[in-house]
Amino acid sequence: MVNGYHPKDLIEALKIRAEVSCIPLAGGTDLMVQNARGTGLSPNFDKPLLFVGHLPELRHIEKKEGFLHIGPSVLLSEMLSHPFIPETFKKAISQMASPPTRNLATLGGNICNASPAGDTLPFLYAMDAELILENHAFDRRIPIEEFICGPKQTELKSDELLTDILIPTTLFPVSYYKKVGQRRGMSLTKVSFHGLAEIVDGYVEDLRMAFGSVAPTVVRSRDCENSLIGEPVSTLKSRFNEIWELYEPSIQPIDDARSTATYRKNVCYNILKDFLTHLENIKEIYNE
Amino acid sequence: MKMSISKSINRTDAKGKIWGETPYLGDIAFDNPLYVKTVRSNQSHARISAIHIPTLPEGYWVIDKSHIPGKNYMKTVVSDHPILAEDEVLYIGQPILLVAGPDREKVYGLSKEIRIDYEPLPAVYTLEESEKQGMVFTDYTLSKGNPVEAFSQAEKILQDEYSTGLQEHVYLEPQGMAAEFKEDTVFVYGSMQCPFYVEEALTEALNMPADKIRVIQTTTGGAFGGKEEFPSLIACHVAIATCVTGHPVILIYDRDEDILSTTKRHPSLVRYKVGLDKNNTLTVLDIDILYNAGAYAGISPVVLQRGIFSSTNVYNFQHIRVRGRNFRTHTVPSGAFRGFGAPQSIFAMEMLMHNIAISLGLEPIDFKMKHCLKQGDTSCTGGKIHDKIILPELLERALTLSEYRKKIQTHKPFTGIGLSLFLHGCGFTGNGEQTIRGKIILQKKGKDVLIKVSSVEMGQGADTILRKIVAHTLELPIHHVQCEVRDTGLIPDSGPTVASRTVMIVGGLLQKAAEEMKSRWDTEENLEISKVYHHPDFLVWDNDTFTGNAYPTYSWGVNVAEVAIDPISYAIQVKKITAVYDVGRAIDERTLRGQMEGGIVQGMGWATIEVMHADEGTLVQRTLTDYKIPTSTDIPDIVCDFIENPYEFGPFGAKCAGELPFTGPAPAIAAAVSNALGIPIKELPITPEKLLEMKNDED
Ligand SMILES: Cc1cc2nc3c(=O)[nH]c(=O)nc-3n(C[C@H](O)[C@H](O)[C@H](O)COP(=O)(O)OP(=O)(O)OC[C@H]3O[C@@H](n4cnc5c(N)ncnc54)[C@H](O)[C@@H]3O)c2cc1C
Repeated sequence: MVNGYHPKDLIEALKIRAEVSCIPLAGGTDLMVQNARGTGLSPNFDKPLLFVGHLPELRHIEKKEGFLHIGPSVLLSEMLSHPFIPETFKKAISQMASPPTRNLATLGGNICNASPAGDTLPFLYAMDAELILENHAFDRRIPIEEFICGPKQTELKSDELLTDILIPTTLFPVSYYKKVGQRRGMSLTKVSFHGLAEIVDGYVEDLRMAFGSVAPTVVRSRDCENSLIGEPVSTLKSRFNEIWELYEPSIQPIDDARSTATYRKNVCYNILKDFLTHLENIKEIYNE
Repeated sequence: MKMSISKSINRTDAKGKIWGETPYLGDIAFDNPLYVKTVRSNQSHARISAIHIPTLPEGYWVIDKSHIPGKNYMKTVVSDHPILAEDEVLYIGQPILLVAGPDREKVYGLSKEIRIDYEPLPAVYTLEESEKQGMVFTDYTLSKGNPVEAFSQAEKILQDEYSTGLQEHVYLEPQGMAAEFKEDTVFVYGSMQCPFYVEEALTEALNMPADKIRVIQTTTGGAFGGKEEFPSLIACHVAIATCVTGHPVILIYDRDEDILSTTKRHPSLVRYKVGLDKNNTLTVLDIDILYNAGAYAGISPVVLQRGIFSSTNVYNFQHIRVRGRNFRTHTVPSGAFRGFGAPQSIFAMEMLMHNIAISLGLEPIDFKMKHCLKQGDTSCTGGKIHDKIILPELLERALTLSEYRKKIQTHKPFTGIGLSLFLHGCGFTGNGEQTIRGKIILQKKGKDVLIKVSSVEMGQGADTILRKIVAHTLELPIHHVQCEVRDTGLIPDSGPTVASRTVMIVGGLLQKAAEEMKSRWDTEENLEISKVYHHPDFLVWDNDTFTGNAYPTYSWGVNVAEVAIDPISYAIQVKKITAVYDVGRAIDERTLRGQMEGGIVQGMGWATIEVMHADEGTLVQRTLTDYKIPTSTDIPDIVCDFIENPYEFGPFGAKCAGELPFTGPAPAIAAAVSNALGIPIKELPITPEKLLEMKNDED
């Protein structure tokens, strides 16, 4: 038997969180699979469940003071049809799972599951997204990069819940998303990449590049990005091997049931090259 | 005028399945049932030195080999798989014990508490290693003409090698069986293709006569060959468990358990040495076929036979020698799977032809057609092809529908087009049909007719088609014709539901019976007609030398595949498959298309995304998260067409159709990928990982 709490609001949820050791469950699309046992047996949870998917305080999508706020219990399918969600983020979400799963799965669940293959993460890393973690007394604000510390490992404390996801409303004219899976639908990622850029007068004004599934957490090499900011776009292609050398050490993929380390690394190379070539194409369009 | 038999009607099983009303095994309620869980080997090859069983609560049982009343093996072609392990285990997942009890939770708990001590033994994991160590199960050779002399006269001699990987069936409904005792009879219920295979296995395992055993097929949610021989094993498990405990018992596999422990498609390796004359005609072939049978031989000898007899595909070669061997490895046993050994050897042959043509600078179509079989030619077993061959018409239609000739000239980088020719031998291999002598019964009661056969509905549409054949012949509305439940106590043995034989062989017998019934319809209120299969007299077969007509006739196909390859990830997208078939005549066009489209998608999966391999005997892809089959988003645009070529001995001219479509996509896709990237493809599955590596090696 599995026990569960179904709080009526966030206050009650945080109170339960403070009093009992429990597992928050939003859509359950990770938890139910991870804890599944055999046919006819209920999943095996070692602690009671705290249902958070229905909490009204966690289901908002709004813009406030330069940030897009998304409640962690917002469904992936809701994000796909919401006008505030950037198109490039929708591109990533639309390639996750399948329509029925997206009708259950939440953004907060994808973040807190902290899988290196979590498909919302590269965008959130690239955008410098921040998270609000709350317990019954306090809240704290933490960059996503600091929140996720390894596969399935986060800074979430046992009395806290993720209550808000903040994405700066900065718009990037250049965006690029690529997910490589074993098949076209319902496929966990072998490699993913989210690239964002702003080019002004042929120079790189801002540049963000984040890879998923190629290391224990999403990889974003700020050194590499910074070294390219202020550079003329036209030189990126010829300097590509030098850029790759800077980037390459942070890409530490593994061999697993889905793919090989060598393949993943090669694909990262191809993606990065394609992205930077793509920047130049954009520049050409600007020059017209 | 009567409507054409080919005109589609609604599937008779569709509504219940779509509405979720049709009960499957898991929906059936039993009185105080016990749940059974299998305790399995976690070793590839080991001797069992001790088994530690915790104290069992009242009402719980642990069943082992000593409980088996009869022989401890599963009856099949080679009966070498123990029902429950003796002292040795030969693969990870091999059943050792059964735990039975009323509470699933406790049964699972107990099965986890059981400890087994092993002494590991040396294990062999790959086909190559098994060949080196001479761990051969079966070794067949056939030859035609004079290959030795032909090689000595050849202008050019080439060698090549092709391989294919594991494939899992992924039927929607996992394997499952239930059993109960009623008076002195054991009733076994479950998902299966071959009720009488199961019955035969039970007579040996239980040491009971067949009339004390009733095997009843429950609605079967897909099978693809996976429910040909394997269900006999778990039928023995539940039957023994019900005998030991005196309770009804239920054993239904979880998906992961099903993937871990049930049979797979045979991985293959095919080596060629071939000779060409000065006109670039292939005059002589030496074909060496190696199939990985896994830990036990089981049904593999017959799979290998079909592989050998199909190894020259649609081609006519004067001089050939084919050697075929099954090898043992310490991995999960291989078994029946749609195509039954033919897709592997045909893939190899199609790619050999393709690659030779490319290396000679010839258009593959022209090179292939130059070698094609014609009516009156002999097959690789020397059997005369009596029926009309319309392969050139099929090809022309496929080329026109796909615009192949234009596209092959104009394709862009990273896109490609490729073509395959293929056939499937209809019905059982060799003297199978003569041995089975399938029997059917057709019963009339007033205005209603009952079909009694052991051929099952497993999602392919057999019930609809068999009823349609009878209804059409008798000119009755289809609801006046029903099929008897597949209960071995109520039906004759029309043979197993395998080898694409149901329509052609069993449907043919039903048509004959219906014709006879029609002539007596008005005069007899109640009537029972039975028919037994007779092989056409002009077909000859010698099973010792493998000479003669390995199959009564063949169905044929042409596939054109179009692919696009992502230049960044090398992911393959199959954009379109154009398929043209000769299956004699369609009994129902929509149901037939269903088979063709499903077969194409399954064949495409085998060729591209279905990656499964074992690391030292442990499957790496053990769940449906890691083992992927095509989804609706992966399915290409499919253009499917038929050219009629009625077969004299099939009902309304129908031949075989169920397995044929599986074979075509892999070589067509491989040819298209090769066309897109300019590299030869010799291995399935074709993964982006391998393509990227090949391209990087090239640079
Ligand atoms: C068939 C299938 C396909 C999938 N495909 C993809 C895919 O393509 N890409 C991908 O990235 N993922 C995929 N997933 C994984 C999963 O759907 C996503 O990670 C999803 O976003 C998880 O959301 P959820 O609400 O279901 O999480 P849950 O399972 O409810 O929770 C996941 C984790 O988050 C924690 N959690 C949830 N909410 C909170 C909160 N407010 N505060 C603190 N902790 C919280 C839970 O305790 C748990 O640890 C797939 C899953 C399935 C079943």
